[in-house]
Amino acid sequence: MTVIVLIFLYAPIMFLVIFSFNSSVTGANWMGFTLKWYGELFLRSPDIWEGFKNSLIVAVFSSLTATFIGTMAAIGIHWYKPSFRRYINFNIYAPLIIPDILMGVSMLMLFVSMRIRLSLFTIYLAHTTFSLSYVVLVVLARLENFDSSLLEAAMDLGASEFQTVRRVIIPMALPGIIASFLLSFTLSIDDFIITFFVAGPGSTTLPLRIFSMIRFGLSPVVNALSTILVGGAILLTLLGRKFLKYILAGEG
Amino acid sequence: MDKDGAVYSVELENVTKIFDESTVAMKNVSLKVKKGEFFSILGPSGCGKTTTLRIIGGFETPNEGTVRIDGRRVNNLPPNRRPVNMVFQNYALFPHLSVFENIAFPLRLKKMTESEIREKVEYMVELVKLKGQERKFPRQLSGGQKQRVALARALVNEPRVLLLDEPLSSLDAKLRQYMLMELDRIHDEVGITFIYVTHDQAEAMSVSDEIAVMNNGVIEQVGTPPEIYESPANTFVAGFIGETNFFVGKVVDVSSEYLKVETRFGILTCYKDKEAKIGDTVEFMIRPEKVYVTKNYPPQNMNFLRGKVDQLIYLGSHTKYYIMVENTLIRSIKQHTRYWMDESTISWDDEVYVWWNPDDSYLIKVTGG
Amino acid sequence: MKRHDIYTLPILIWLSLFFTIPLSITVIMSFMSSTPYGGVTLPFTVGNYVEIMKGRILAILWRTIRISALSTLITLGLSLPVSFFMATSKWKNLLLMATIIPFWTNFIIRIFAWIFLLGNNGMLNNILIQLGIVKNPITFLYNSWAVVVVIVYTYLPYMILPIYSAMEKFDFSMIDAAMDLGATKIRAIFKVMFPSIKGGITAGILFVFIPALGSYAIPELVGGRDSVMLGNLIAWEITTARNWPYATALSNILFVSTALALFLYLKIQGSDGK
Repeated sequence: MTVIVLIFLYAPIMFLVIFSFNSSVTGANWMGFTLKWYGELFLRSPDIWEGFKNSLIVAVFSSLTATFIGTMAAIGIHWYKPSFRRYINFNIYAPLIIPDILMGVSMLMLFVSMRIRLSLFTIYLAHTTFSLSYVVLVVLARLENFDSSLLEAAMDLGASEFQTVRRVIIPMALPGIIASFLLSFTLSIDDFIITFFVAGPGSTTLPLRIFSMIRFGLSPVVNALSTILVGGAILLTLLGRKFLKYILAGEG
Repeated sequence: MDKDGAVYSVELENVTKIFDESTVAMKNVSLKVKKGEFFSILGPSGCGKTTTLRIIGGFETPNEGTVRIDGRRVNNLPPNRRPVNMVFQNYALFPHLSVFENIAFPLRLKKMTESEIREKVEYMVELVKLKGQERKFPRQLSGGQKQRVALARALVNEPRVLLLDEPLSSLDAKLRQYMLMELDRIHDEVGITFIYVTHDQAEAMSVSDEIAVMNNGVIEQVGTPPEIYESPANTFVAGFIGETNFFVGKVVDVSSEYLKVETRFGILTCYKDKEAKIGDTVEFMIRPEKVYVTKNYPPQNMNFLRGKVDQLIYLGSHTKYYIMVENTLIRSIKQHTRYWMDESTISWDDEVYVWWNPDDSYLIKVTGG
Repeated sequence: MKRHDIYTLPILIWLSLFFTIPLSITVIMSFMSSTPYGGVTLPFTVGNYVEIMKGRILAILWRTIRISALSTLITLGLSLPVSFFMATSKWKNLLLMATIIPFWTNFIIRIFAWIFLLGNNGMLNNILIQLGIVKNPITFLYNSWAVVVVIVYTYLPYMILPIYSAMEKFDFSMIDAAMDLGATKIRAIFKVMFPSIKGGITAGILFVFIPALGSYAIPELVGGRDSVMLGNLIAWEITTARNWPYATALSNILFVSTALALFLYLKIQGSDGK
């Protein structure tokens, strides 16, 4: 059963990867080994690279923002019993459980009613928003191991609140913070539906670009791109192995 | 400076602490801890002893009353600005720092030079006997070792007062005994005031110069261990510290040194620790180690009870007897000598005499009648 | 406000601005009317909802729920034995990684893989034509079944991971204990293991069912005329028709469906005290 499921999970991706080295244009007929689609991808696909660049910009800035704000929030929630606790909780959990398309539509409506021009900036705002909830949960999962006596100990030994955050809380939470950054980064790079609504002309991200490409039919260049993205996923999985348990704890 | 010239390290004056507008953790608590003392706050869980410690440490603010450290009012001083340090119950070691860095933590905050830090940490490591463990991380240490790191970290700042919140509670019995002796040694070496919170009366008795017994947010008694054991201020203290046998009755005769008291076991004689007159209701106690159990008729021909051996527990150094007298268990402890094995003829269900010297009883309470 | 609220203040402001307020705007807008040039206008009206209730939209809503529920069921059916095998396996970490890799792989790429495999010009059709089995390509895609298969494919890790997490924490010696006390293995699993992994199962169901309800890309790329889902309709109203009040009304219907699913979830969770 597990083997069948693993084949089910991997076979489609495997074929994509194998046929990215196929010299046939129609893509689905093996005509011999080639790297020409990679050449095409790297040298003659400015649109894809433009999308990639946009995705990267949004991912870096949105995950940095989300990690910063979300980590602060997790610290506050875990140790300081904030006011408006229920409202904060609603805002953290609700984005996780409503369909992404709803978030996309509602963000678009906000931008439209505020007359904010759709651009990479609106995508950045949207991505930061959906990443925040994940960051809070992942960092909270890490902080769960530490009770308030550690903060009291730091204060007792002479640390100011700022020193406690910098020298005790941040280092302790670091695996969770890194995990949440990795998670937000991936979610941002991967997001299609929310971006679909809040992207404007000239702010096409990689998933949007791929979407419009495959709408027009099969292209071996997309196979080549897929291979690279799958490679990225494997790399990320290996890199993120250490932080996986926090990601899982935050999600589960 | 106090009137009598002694300098107090920590003073609490009528401190009251209320949580959630309803839970009263401390009611009008007043305490004076002398400089350099090993002072214990002893009481059952929930009695307010940890709150008292946290108020001294600055982790809680009193609703009423004054807290002084070295004569200075510190009510509004946060923990990081008080000359006291705390050893937490769960040690609260920083998991991301090595033993060395844990101990160096307060020094780094003070921006000391590397060589100063090294010197001080090394002294502390020596003091708590952790040589060779400096580079380990908390998760690699045993409970006892963690305890030592917590101690060193709290002492390295050279506080005026060290606060210890049930520091031995998560260690096993044997290690606890050993760490207690270590604490005593370290206290002697550093010479500062230790305030030690515990629920274990044996711990408190064995190392303290003075003990405050707390119950329900109130200090029941402050005194040296012998004072607390031999002349408890009330029934709670008497019952909480060690095992004891209580008797209640009406005074039927008063002499210059003794009272004759009519109890449900008959007339018993007790020492007149407090003034009482005929008709008063009194409560007195006798500690088990002062109670004799014999098969023979007691030589003093008075102040004895008859009962049946209900339980007999051999504990190596001594034996505990529980004698059923009129549906009440009377406790007795007999220390062993090398002849004990030959002498001991008492066993389960034997009919025995239970008796004690009236001088050994202690009169706890007199209620006018 | 307390002094320490400074920690939660940024998230409070951010999520109010970009989550609560947008949701409120969506609700308000759904009660307005559209103008010919893609604007919105007062007065407030329930017209959009009335329009939806009498149109073919109900059929689409029903289909959306059906496809989502079926996909969720199949995903659950596959995930339970797989998670069980993973949690009891010697190579659990390796297997976990193996399920994570597709999880990290780009969502659109995972859809594309199926188009590549089963599309009209896809690999399978090419093989069939070359072997002379068929003359013209078979249309495997562009129907509801294709949508279900691809939803199952893309969301499978979302089901496996929470169930696996729950099973991994489960003490398997309890099954032995139950069998020792006379239960059959099947009975032991149902009576002893299920109650303690229920949380993981419900989480997995939500992680699959809710995004499935909001599907857009999958039916758009591998679905056909008979498999238009609510998401496609919303996107069409927004990007092509530019009828925002109508689109937001549709979104709110999706929102209500989700809330309903969630309510049922909480009720099930609540019924066993957790």
